[in-house]
Amino acid sequence: MGYFIDLVIIGLSIGMVYALVALGLSLIYSGLDIVHFAHGEIYMIGAFIGLMLFRHLGIGYVPTLLLAVVLTGIVGVLIERVFYRRLTSTGGGYTVAGMGMIIAGFGMSIVLQNVAYLIWGPKALPFPVPYGRPVEIGNLALPMSYVWIVATALILMFVLNLLLKKTMIGLAIRAVAHNKDIAYLSGVNVPLMISLIFGIGCALGAAAGVLIGPINYVQVLMGLSVLIKAFAAAVVGGFGSLPGAVLGGVLVGVIESLGAGYVSGTYKDTYAFVLLIFVLMVKPSGILGVEAKVKA
Amino acid sequence: MLEIKDVVGGYGSVQVLNGASLKVARGQIVALLGGNGTGKSTLLKAVSGLIKPWSGSITFDGERIDGLRPDLIVRRGLVQVTQGKEVFPGMTVEENLKLGAFVVRDRAKASRALDRVYTYFPILKERRQQLSGTLSGGQLQMVCIGRGLMSSPKMIMLDEPSSALAPQVVLDIFRTIHRITQDGMTVLMVEQNVRMALLLAEYGYVIMDGVIHIEGPADQLIHDDNVRLSYLGGTVANREASLGTGA
Ligand SMILES: Nc1ncnc2c1ncn2[C@@H]1O[C@H](COP(=O)(O)OP(=O)(O)OP(=O)(O)O)[C@@H](O)[C@H]1O
Ligand SMILES: [Mg+2]
Repeated sequence: MGYFIDLVIIGLSIGMVYALVALGLSLIYSGLDIVHFAHGEIYMIGAFIGLMLFRHLGIGYVPTLLLAVVLTGIVGVLIERVFYRRLTSTGGGYTVAGMGMIIAGFGMSIVLQNVAYLIWGPKALPFPVPYGRPVEIGNLALPMSYVWIVATALILMFVLNLLLKKTMIGLAIRAVAHNKDIAYLSGVNVPLMISLIFGIGCALGAAAGVLIGPINYVQVLMGLSVLIKAFAAAVVGGFGSLPGAVLGGVLVGVIESLGAGYVSGTYKDTYAFVLLIFVLMVKPSGILGVEAKVKA
Repeated sequence: MLEIKDVVGGYGSVQVLNGASLKVARGQIVALLGGNGTGKSTLLKAVSGLIKPWSGSITFDGERIDGLRPDLIVRRGLVQVTQGKEVFPGMTVEENLKLGAFVVRDRAKASRALDRVYTYFPILKERRQQLSGTLSGGQLQMVCIGRGLMSSPKMIMLDEPSSALAPQVVLDIFRTIHRITQDGMTVLMVEQNVRMALLLAEYGYVIMDGVIHIEGPADQLIHDDNVRLSYLGGTVANREASLGTGA
């Protein structure tokens, strides 16, 4: 029983990391109508920025996390503004840019990997955070790093929810996601909101990277598998649905952990896809997905 | 207040507007009439900034607005309500309305605007917490007009406010539009319901193939046979078809 609970806790915390990346993917998809294939690299860049801040500024882990999130958000805004948006200038915006955007995302992922390689080199770097002793609950010892991940992710999700549901900016973001013309005619600065949506999506990815850093190493290729898992999570939950991204992330994390613990660790990376295929067979739009995104 | 001069424009390489000109004076209610596909909505979109005119000029309140981003045009006090009763179905009625006041920084002013919208459409106040996706057609139209009024604009453009509504509801909507103009709003209204539109409006324009074809005071247009004829179709071919004289 203790082993089972351990596996669930590990799965839950890794699942929260997937959930944060999936949230970014889903947010960007619902706002910009693009699947951002360079999102794993945003997560990687976020982790490196966090590591650098932590090492060189001598600030605590929480300020590091916040600063890395903001800085990576800004990097994201610049990438979108300077590169992606140019591809939409022929008219119709992101909605019709389609295939070109997918290729651009892949291209950006390769560029970011190489930039990171040039700056930080090929070695996996440790991210040593002095977490302190594990929390003891009954006869269970919870490592602090897992507690941190779950708590921080929950706080970020709560703040995101508050932003989207309770503020005018959130209302405008939801409006842009649903119908850009009507958002425009309501007086919303649509290009600015698109920047904001992309920036928030990247910030969430960076948070995931900084959270995973201390339990894994930080390295250039770390984004690859996370993107795939987060993508599976987003699709399992229902692509474009934010609660779906969280649910999908947690499911993928827990199933992966249980699979690795009880079946075989060698196939760790395949369990997410078994889940994905199963969900797609039963409900193609994902667990919390709406049948099709309604577009004007 | 609004002056459209020789506006040419369209979608991609398809030209829809072929040099349309039109004027709306402050406090006036003007009807823009014409058959299906003649460019009425396209003209409104050119004014509101959703499409950029290829040539010609659009002046609002003494300033050129052609080519400006739509939200900046809203900031100047000119709002378009689109055809098709488009709301944000996942938002409540009140959220939809509040969004219309996005450009208003002064919260007190926004809440006064909301109260005013609720006096025009009391049913929306009753349903303010309801998801707007669950409303009836008439109520959707009310949300759209209400959202347009939330920024307290100087002028509002309505694209077929009465389309696809039950006759009783149409009457309701027209009565409210009348009330809104009596409160000092300037209105440019696209309509298929020619008679009602001309009864309400002071002046009317008839557009055909992207140019203004006929114009005049509403009480004259209402008796003009050409108006009825132009209204039947956008092109000579489908006009003849409608009259049964074509192929
Ligand atoms: N988004 C678009 N892309 C390409 N062509 C369009 C688009 N919207 C409208 N058109 C075309 O432009 C022409 C004018 O359309 P518009 O919507 O302005 O007509 P309308 O006068 O408003 O007609 P209706 O009474 O049906 O609303 C039509 O031929 C239409 O097919
Ligand atoms: Mg139209």
